Amino acid sequence: METDELIINMGPVHPSTHGVLRFKLRMDGEIIKECTPVLGYLHRGTEKLGEMKTYLQFIPYTDRLDYISAMPNNYAFVKAVEELAGIEVPLRAEYIRVITMELNRVVNHLVSIGSLLMDLGAATMIMWGFRERENALQLYEMLCGARMTFNYIKPGGVREDIPEGFIPKLNEFIKDMEKRIEDYEQLINTNEIFMMRMKNIGVISAEDAINYGMTGPTLRGSGVNYDLRKVEPYSIYRDIDFKVCVRRECDSYARYMVRIDEMKECLYILRQVVDTMPEAKIVSNPKYGIAPMTGAPSAVMPYFPRIFTPPAGEVYSRIEAPKGELGFYVVSDGTTKPYRVKIRSPSFCNLTAIPGMVVGLKIPDLIAAFGTIDVVLGDVDR
Amino acid sequence: MNPAEELKQKLPSAVVSIGIQVNKPMAVIKKEELLNAAQKVKEMGFDHLSVITGIDYMDHFEVVYNFFSYAKKQNLALKVITDHEDPEVDSLTSLWKGADWLERETYDLVGIKFIGHPNLVRILLPDGWIGHPLRKDYDMDTEQFVTIGEGGEDIVSTDGSNLLRRK
Repeated sequence: METDELIINMGPVHPSTHGVLRFKLRMDGEIIKECTPVLGYLHRGTEKLGEMKTYLQFIPYTDRLDYISAMPNNYAFVKAVEELAGIEVPLRAEYIRVITMELNRVVNHLVSIGSLLMDLGAATMIMWGFRERENALQLYEMLCGARMTFNYIKPGGVREDIPEGFIPKLNEFIKDMEKRIEDYEQLINTNEIFMMRMKNIGVISAEDAINYGMTGPTLRGSGVNYDLRKVEPYSIYRDIDFKVCVRRECDSYARYMVRIDEMKECLYILRQVVDTMPEAKIVSNPKYGIAPMTGAPSAVMPYFPRIFTPPAGEVYSRIEAPKGELGFYVVSDGTTKPYRVKIRSPSFCNLTAIPGMVVGLKIPDLIAAFGTIDVVLGDVDR
Repeated sequence: MNPAEELKQKLPSAVVSIGIQVNKPMAVIKKEELLNAAQKVKEMGFDHLSVITGIDYMDHFEVVYNFFSYAKKQNLALKVITDHEDPEVDSLTSLWKGADWLERETYDLVGIKFIGHPNLVRILLPDGWIGHPLRKDYDMDTEQFVTIGEGGEDIVSTDGSNLLRRK
């Protein structure tokens, strides 16, 4: 029988594209022949903004890239600036940074798994995920007053020390989460419909994943044992005991399982960091000394000048964000503003692989595969 | 011996100079030899193309490629310098599929042409956008208006004449 090919536009306002992303699909009946993502609906010119703001002014803009997990974004930019200028950070501040970043990883994976399950038609998980996320967001609110966009990590330390009552509440959260993850696993892992939707869907081999530049849980789901926290330890990850979660099946189910395993590892890291956190002790900055008039130094933030000029040079620094490798390429010309800021966002690079993954599948499979890639459109379009 | 020195030893004609970029070895490559050098870099085990950055220095452009090797756990940066009038470098899409979108983005925002790219069109900004925003001489005062045409294509104008207005 003679059949015609059909072009279908999925998005930009489709509930399963997690924001404003459009897929242009060339369909043969129910089978996807070609998939072309169309981006740019949320492009805000963050890189250009970076050239017009001072280093400290640009930090709030990094929050708005991947707004589900903003703390690692803060840290990635601050790390680049610190490497560029050779700034030392008090040990206690590094501990607090790791607490906030690992907490953010849990939050990110909760949202990721929750929205994946909802796209597949199971509404329970997103309710559960957001219930636990709320507790984490309240912890952030205690810490810096904001729930999603923090502007908390600064060059040289963090904005404020942890408030009283934060650690007991964090311990409560960890204890609660450990039980909750067991619940999730009982609910989802062996669910027959879920397994039929996920297994052998969106398969990508390790070689292809590397060639496409995929990173993070999506790469580890293809059996590549790679985590920047282990390979190029930054902050205090060198002293922390944790294992890299890897699955060898290369399909959507493997990527989901990596996220569940990673949440457990995060809780394990959080426990260690809380137990070994050093006492608060006022520190002076070896480079800038004690504050002249205002901005009293604290245990987590030595005096740091508001008008800050790093030496001329360029640096590429990257961290393991919850979604993958997040890098900032910063060029300084010795003035108060960066000459060029380039953001290597994990969502953008992971999305590159989608067209190759879904050819020959059906539209519901595209939703399943896309859900496990876990992109945030603020991070894709920048 | 760091990877940049190794590359210089293997391809002495292609490497202009080597150096260190904070803590990562870097090699400046002749523009014509980029594809050769990239091929060699891939043979050396650098299988992960992390990022492509284009930088406008007013009188010339720099394109920087950051590589990483999963096997050796090493970093390497390659840098290519092009003239400002007509910036063109070879595309690496034949070696890394991930280069596809990264090059399109660099073309879109910085305006560097990648020779041999299969589909070098704008990716973040709509087709027909005037100028490349990350160039230092980009005109920021002229507003540009975008709307969707009947065929689904983007239409750009500088006076807003294409926008539907409520009467």
